[in-house]
Amino acid sequence: MRYLMMSNPTGETTNPNLEAEMGAWIEELTASGVLLATGGLAPTGIEVRESDGEVTVTDGPFAEAKESVAGFALVEVRTEEEVVELARRFVKMVGNSRSVIQQVFA
Amino acid sequence: MDAHRSIDAVWKLESARIVAGLTRLVHDVGLAEEMAQDALVAALEQWPEAGVPDNPGAWLMTVAKRRAIDHLRRSRRLDELDETTEAETAAVAEAEPEQDDVLRLMFLSCHPVLPAPARVALTLRLLGGLTTAEIARAFLLSEPKIAQRVATAKRTLAEERVPFDLPGPAELAGRLSSVLEVIYLIFNEGYSATSGDDLLRPGLTLEALRLGRLLARLAPGEAEVHGLVALMEIQESRSAARTGPSGEPIQLHQQNRGRWDRLLIRRGFTAMLRAREAGGKPGPYVLQAAIAVCHAQARTAEDTDWRQIATLYDALVRLLPTPIVQLNRAVAYGRAHGPAAGLAMADALLSDPSLQDYHLLPGVRGDLLAELGRDDEARLEFQRAAALTRNAAERAFLLRRADGLPAGGAPVLTLAEAAEDFLARDTLDAQTVRSYGQTLRRLRSTLGDQLPLATLTADQLTRVCTTAWGESAAKTWNRHRSALRSFAAWAGMHDIAAGLERRAETRQRTPPMAPAELEALWSGDQPLRERTLWRLLHESGAGVRTVLSLDIEHLDLDDRRAQAGGTWVTWRSGTARLLPQLLDGRTRGPLFLADRRPGPARTPAAADLCPETGRRRLSYERAEYLFKQATRPLDPAGRGFTLRQLKPR
Repeated sequence: MRYLMMSNPTGETTNPNLEAEMGAWIEELTASGVLLATGGLAPTGIEVRESDGEVTVTDGPFAEAKESVAGFALVEVRTEEEVVELARRFVKMVGNSRSVIQQVFA
Repeated sequence: MDAHRSIDAVWKLESARIVAGLTRLVHDVGLAEEMAQDALVAALEQWPEAGVPDNPGAWLMTVAKRRAIDHLRRSRRLDELDETTEAETAAVAEAEPEQDDVLRLMFLSCHPVLPAPARVALTLRLLGGLTTAEIARAFLLSEPKIAQRVATAKRTLAEERVPFDLPGPAELAGRLSSVLEVIYLIFNEGYSATSGDDLLRPGLTLEALRLGRLLARLAPGEAEVHGLVALMEIQESRSAARTGPSGEPIQLHQQNRGRWDRLLIRRGFTAMLRAREAGGKPGPYVLQAAIAVCHAQARTAEDTDWRQIATLYDALVRLLPTPIVQLNRAVAYGRAHGPAAGLAMADALLSDPSLQDYHLLPGVRGDLLAELGRDDEARLEFQRAAALTRNAAERAFLLRRADGLPAGGAPVLTLAEAAEDFLARDTLDAQTVRSYGQTLRRLRSTLGDQLPLATLTADQLTRVCTTAWGESAAKTWNRHRSALRSFAAWAGMHDIAAGLERRAETRQRTPPMAPAELEALWSGDQPLRERTLWRLLHESGAGVRTVLSLDIEHLDLDDRRAQAGGTWVTWRSGTARLLPQLLDGRTRGPLFLADRRPGPARTPAAADLCPETGRRRLSYERAEYLFKQATRPLDPAGRGFTLRQLKPR
């Protein structure tokens, strides 16, 4: 089963070794074949919206920083519990953050 | 969320590393797994209350290591003299997980001392963290069967003292290919389920991909490892497009390429680049991956570079000349150089005994024949393929393909109908029907039930016969040959069986037992009846049936002879000593009796029944069986001897 994990930081990170830990973790997840793709997202964005036939394009940043997705990971796991476990480890590592997990259908 | 289920998730993520680390410490994979399981039990007890620890893997490893230390202390108490154990205990307490532990575990669970199914089960168990029930479900086998397979594998590894280390450079290629084979076996079972109702068993492909990616990380310098990963990633990328709405298979050239998973294709290409970087002469996995890459690169089926694929298959056939690879090459040639070229290659495989029941051969031939416009033959091939496959979705698909071809002319007598009519004649006795039936079943399954009888050719008949029975004994060959001749004669097609030569039956005289073997037999501790029978056979040299047919009334104990039918059976002192004991007061009826009375449903002829004990005459089969059992330890080949071999030299 494939899941997309999207994380939004909700404030200052509390982990000073974050970069090193995260690097090691990403390496480990890639090695075990769990992590398919990962990436960070720029906080700026462009919003494109349609309303009754009219399309409006708005340059970002347009949302509260805590609502925007900062990074994503596409993982392949056997069960929902596994992805929850991964997310649990992830938020523990980052501190002060929030992750949303959604299953991806092929 | 259920704590137990999240513990199960942690276990699957962490177990390989824990078991691998422990195996390095205790040198026994069975023991290591037990300890890891103990740690899991501890987690099940504590985590629901205390919560899942921040680093569950380290927690489990610590607990398991403590068990390992306890175990080593205990075994030390049992054996005070062993001084190494204290050092070992200290080592276990200190040991840090090693980078290569998991790779070592992979080499161990795929070790060539184990049979392939055991390697697969053990790998899924130890490296995938799958439960016995999950493995059993994936392979449609019973749970005890898998449990037994895993237990036997662990015991074999311990008994053979397979070391937990990485193979040296000289050994590496061979050992690695065994690991690759296991991973690909797992992948294939998931990708094209050989039996059952589903065409795909995605859990297993995912497991294999995971193992392959793990291996690629652990052994980054090996081209074949990356080749296998590339192959699996690309094959897996097509999984969504491989089946239609009702689970029917969709062939590569008809798949909706928009449904191919670009992410996996890209991963496959990356793995392929790594394989090229690793260098060396391309091996079978790299070549297969290169073929998969060709398909993945084509934006439409028409864009496929079939010439390139055909060339790659030429190279692959040299490394891996299996019938399956040759069949795939025939498909590639069919596309690259026209259906006639492909069909010629596929036809060459018809006489390969290993493919005679393989549904893809008629499937491929059906495709090529349909392309050539030979619809009647194509329909037959699809029907035959459908009859051979064990997979329900595939069977339905093949039957639809057969039905989709333009219908032929008026109904004709088919091979199946003819065979049934032939066997239904009331002039045949039951044994002949059974024997002929066996021959005709093979004919029908190889040529197809729907083959119009009138189109049956001598070549086809000869081919079926040589493919199926060409290697068997002359007697078997002649039996099937005469069945086919009889069938041809009945159908009024005498000439088609003309190509089948009768084979000379050389009677293999099995040598009599050697004096030393006989000596061992006589000195053995055997029941009186057996000893008497064997002595008598040896001393008289008479036929087994003759001796078994002896009745007590026929015996002349004083002259040491008996009349049986028209001949005399004579014996010497050995038998003479035993006979009175065997008779034990009996005066009539069969000399050699069975152990029990016959059941109520089986009433033997009066002559075969002992009027005094109600037991029946000992049968040839039973006597032969008993002798074989008794002489098995004496026979160097371990099969046991036959009664005939008791004859004096």
